[in-house]
Amino acid sequence: MSLAERQEAFLNAILDDAAPLPKGWGNSQAAGMAVYRGNYRHAVISALAETYERTALYLGEAGFRQASINQAIAHPPSGWTIDAAGEGFDGTCAKLFAKNPEVAELAWLEWSMLELATAPDTAPMSAQDFGAAAADFGDEEWGALRLTLQPRATARLVDHDLTALWQALGQEGAERPELQLPEPQTCLVWREGERPTFILVEADHAAAFAAMQSGATYTDMIGALIGEDAEPTPEVIQNAAMRAGAILGCWLQEGVVVGLT
Amino acid sequence: MSVIEPFGGFGLGLRRTHYDDFLSAPDGPRVPVDFVEVISENYMIDGGRQMRILEEVREQFPVIIHGVSMSIGSAGGLDTDYLTKLKRLEQRIDPLWVSDHLCWTRNSAHNSHDLLPMPLTEEALSAVCSNIDRAQNALGRAMLFENPSSYLTFPEDELSEWEFLAEMTRRTGCYLLLDVNNIYVSAANHGFSAMDYLKGLPLDRVRQIHLAGHDPATPERDIIIDTHDRAVADGVWDLYATAIAMLPQPVATMIERDDHIPPLPELLSELDCARGIADAALVPA
Ligand SMILES: [Fe+2]
Repeated sequence: MSLAERQEAFLNAILDDAAPLPKGWGNSQAAGMAVYRGNYRHAVISALAETYERTALYLGEAGFRQASINQAIAHPPSGWTIDAAGEGFDGTCAKLFAKNPEVAELAWLEWSMLELATAPDTAPMSAQDFGAAAADFGDEEWGALRLTLQPRATARLVDHDLTALWQALGQEGAERPELQLPEPQTCLVWREGERPTFILVEADHAAAFAAMQSGATYTDMIGALIGEDAEPTPEVIQNAAMRAGAILGCWLQEGVVVGLT
Repeated sequence: MSVIEPFGGFGLGLRRTHYDDFLSAPDGPRVPVDFVEVISENYMIDGGRQMRILEEVREQFPVIIHGVSMSIGSAGGLDTDYLTKLKRLEQRIDPLWVSDHLCWTRNSAHNSHDLLPMPLTEEALSAVCSNIDRAQNALGRAMLFENPSSYLTFPEDELSEWEFLAEMTRRTGCYLLLDVNNIYVSAANHGFSAMDYLKGLPLDRVRQIHLAGHDPATPERDIIIDTHDRAVADGVWDLYATAIAMLPQPVATMIERDDHIPPLPELLSELDCARGIADAALVPA
């Protein structure tokens, strides 16, 4: 057997308790393998517990353990950083806790915040700086405006009050808040200095954010806010333009924009 | 390959729980260590608080970057992205040296995030040496490799671990990080003599020593586990004294604690213990 084959068999035996032990192995190797299997499970579960501190609190020990084991099977870590063991954990939670979709939203939020914690350092563009840069913009320049958003900042629609949940989980013995939102909102996640943070804002931020993050122009962003409407009335366009301005103002205020082109 | 000059001193691993101790009072008393060691992978990142803290610590102390995921023993070779990020960290920090373990952690598909044992064969030796050549070339400097602790040996083994390490050092020009606890643990688990191990190594290549605690064997489990979660055991201190007396040059000694991390003063007093033992070991009999 070549070294590559031996390593393949060894790793398979670690990942899967039912995998046969390599040929020629005796009791002493089997006893050693039991230690390596235990180490692997412990490493994955403790990495997840560190990344998903609040999700773990919300689920309680048994629920989180079950989710961790599912994650270790569904997504055995492949990257060189153990933090990556938590990638896709929101998906694991979505499947496992289908009746409690807030779990997956919370897990998504914690993952997004972990990603932001080590993102490149950037300085936010202040509303004043933006104002100065855009002072001479005509309609054409406004239309062609593109934003550079903070690296790894992210936004998505959520159905649950993650702000209330986050706070409740941060205080020992706090009551579980009412989580269902009357209507979906956008959860915007970014970094304030060195500290990852988030807010819930109007639902239409999500589409605008996705557009600008993928390099769309301001005109495209207004288009994204209009949505599917094939022949929008001037009033619809006017409203979308107003919303675009308000959304941009909010992002500048929060420090999510780092530059413009 | 480049030469790594000996550096004598006593240090600790930098852990998140002790960030404030290392950063507080820039004009006040400095933490009494000669260097700190950090886990490379925790800082192979783009930015943020963790990186800023490392840069601030670096202004006060020499830093060693110690990896756990290079997987120098992988039959499939090294990960290019990993080497690029490690090189970037090396350039940012200008460390005393860069180290990793004689082990493998992954194959092409999965990562165990554990330091898995190498079969001690000629084939494994040449795979390890060509990987070390690649890593040292990528970094532009010689590295240190640490002897691992292990829980099994392979029926196909052709060399002892010390023969393997000696030959690896000779072929690649790398240096050694001697983990005295790992020698103790593996000697007990596999029934070899720690003294034979030390005598068989090119001791002039040792630049650093690790000391750590382990979980002793029990009636139910006759394997000692390398846990880094408690104080250094008496038998490990004895072996440390022996090793220090045998080494022909000064080395950097440090204590590793990765779990149940106590307040910093507790680790500093354990480090004082190491200083005392090293001083005593160097007094001519
Ligand atoms: Fe070590």
